[in-house]
Amino acid sequence: MSELFETFLNPAVMGESAGLLLRGLVVTVELSLLVVPAGLALGACVAVAQALAPPWLERVVSLGVDLVRAFPPLVLLVLVVHGLPFAGIELPALVGVAVALTLNTASYYGEILRAGIAGVSAGQWEAARSSGLGTTSILRFVILPQGVRKVLPDLVGNTLEAVKLTALASVVALPDLLRMARIAQGVHFNPSPLILAAALYLALLWPLARFVRRLGASKAAPDFARSRR
Amino acid sequence: MTDRIAPGPVLEFEGVGKSFGGIRALHGVDLAVREGELVALIGPSGSGKSTLLRCANRLAEPDVGTVRFEGREAPRGGAALARVRRRMGMVFQAFNLYPHLTALENVALAPRRAAGRSARGARRTAVEALERVGLGDRLDARPDQLSGGQQQRVAIARALALSPRILLLDEPTSALDPELVGSVLGVIRSLADDGVAMLIATHELAFAREAADRIVFLDEGRMVEAGPPEEILERPRTERLRTFLKRL
Amino acid sequence: MEIFFDREALALAWPAVRSGIAVTLQLALASIAAGVALGFALAVARALGGRWLRFATPAIVAYADAFRAIPPLVLLVVIYFAAPFAGLELSGFLASFAALVLVLGASAEEIFWAGITAVDRGQWEAALSTGLSRRTTLFRVILPQAVLLTVPPLTNRAIATGKNTALASVVAVPEVLNQATSIQAQTASPAPLLLAAGVYVALFLPLVRIGRWLETRAPTGGPAPAEGPP
Repeated sequence: MSELFETFLNPAVMGESAGLLLRGLVVTVELSLLVVPAGLALGACVAVAQALAPPWLERVVSLGVDLVRAFPPLVLLVLVVHGLPFAGIELPALVGVAVALTLNTASYYGEILRAGIAGVSAGQWEAARSSGLGTTSILRFVILPQGVRKVLPDLVGNTLEAVKLTALASVVALPDLLRMARIAQGVHFNPSPLILAAALYLALLWPLARFVRRLGASKAAPDFARSRR
Repeated sequence: MTDRIAPGPVLEFEGVGKSFGGIRALHGVDLAVREGELVALIGPSGSGKSTLLRCANRLAEPDVGTVRFEGREAPRGGAALARVRRRMGMVFQAFNLYPHLTALENVALAPRRAAGRSARGARRTAVEALERVGLGDRLDARPDQLSGGQQQRVAIARALALSPRILLLDEPTSALDPELVGSVLGVIRSLADDGVAMLIATHELAFAREAADRIVFLDEGRMVEAGPPEEILERPRTERLRTFLKRL
Repeated sequence: MEIFFDREALALAWPAVRSGIAVTLQLALASIAAGVALGFALAVARALGGRWLRFATPAIVAYADAFRAIPPLVLLVVIYFAAPFAGLELSGFLASFAALVLVLGASAEEIFWAGITAVDRGQWEAALSTGLSRRTTLFRVILPQAVLLTVPPLTNRAIATGKNTALASVVAVPEVLNQATSIQAQTASPAPLLLAAGVYVALFLPLVRIGRWLETRAPTGGPAPAEGPP
């Protein structure tokens, strides 16, 4: 038992690699702070475009969204980071990763917001138009606030997914939490840094997952299916 | 109604109480339903009628008191409780038919899967039960193809299929359009004439007066008055019952 | 432009990528089948209750939360690189399979559970009142109604699992992405990568379209009916 402890939760190794891992955590958080707002903004653009576009254009946009979704995020990432330089576009690694992850996560944010906008009743559009508001104002002050509230649990859920995605950055050598943990593991020839990194990811994301469950819980109803005995 | 030799109680509540989340739904209710007897539970909504019915077959577990079925305390769980439940039919306000099954399958499920009859035997039982409620021609209809009254009659057939000693009916006509109430009450009346014991929560006072052997008035979880229909409905002794009858 | 469609590099890459497709499909189908089965079993265990299962419910909930919180790649790396220290040498394929199954199992459990709880409690009452056991009630009455609700979200999670097979490239499983990147390193041409991208689009675009279609025609849980601007 203590041997397992020494192997997987080695305090000395964890102590020595803590600094490295914290630096990685900072990169992970930075990347998340880039990707989540950018993805939301791009997603909102897609959703609004779909709400206002004529049907044929809406179909084109939705095909584009599905195309992005058809790529595994890691494939998109590798394409952007290793493919673009061949086209003469050299991006800093952080930017390349952020672009790829933003594209991916925006395709989901966009679909969620589209559903939210579609869920606001036509009467809201009519009422706002009859009071003389322009389309932009209607969207901004009337439709989006209601639409966002309707799909809030899904938005938070996708934010969890977006942060999880940032771990992919390690594959293209961006020094994020996972990458740093792999380096520390190699240096010490001990898996404790990996376990510590996993724990850090859980510490970061478990509360978010609980929050998603709480938001969804109002839908899931009766206690009758649960154990009574 | 029907005179039987030594009509012992089929179902007995003794000091039954039940709370939900700190709110007392039932306070020490004592009540017995004898063989062949029809007892009507009346009272405002939230007075505990549904809870009392659910305590009978332990869909709700009483906090205090005893529920006896055929003289023995009903078991609290497991296969023994399932066996007792087979001998008590229950009919719900919202019908609760299984939407993915036909009328016949709705009725045949328990004979087949709870009582372990053969597929053919369960089917025969189900057909008989559906004929008894006047739906012998709608065996293969799904619930959404039936009117509310027909759905409730299927639900009654489902409750009858295992020849229960007592039927528990929870406001069986409250969710029905007025013109459909009659057909369901007609079925219940004919079952009463056949001597099926029943405990029925209802707002249909005219029905209760005519069909019930006894009426029990519940209010705020307490049994306030009980007696023969004419006594309860014509000569209420308490202010609460008088107010209740006036409001209807 | 010709550098992107370098014929030579493509000719070199195609056999490798083609063998990668087989690996991708095997890993995807095996993980989806096992992950859905795991999620189903856990949701059923949670619904049936019982004496010892009362203690299992918090464990199931914790498992579902943890494995929906952890990035799949982190899980894969931990399994693949940490397991050998415990004397457990897993192949890249098995480690990927394990990671994908654990992740899908968590989502699938929640989806099945949500489906079960979405069925009206009157259905439980009606079935139990006729003397059916909890198990029979669950399998004959509740699940037939619940499963319909679970199809759209399960389809989406299955697609996500299929796409996540690309993570296996990190632990040297010779699936599509891994084959493409290794040929790319040999040829110094982006053509193999583009070939792989084309393969993924061919594999997943139809599924993504189907997933969208399922979601819009779902009775509940999907996006609300379109009522856009007049």
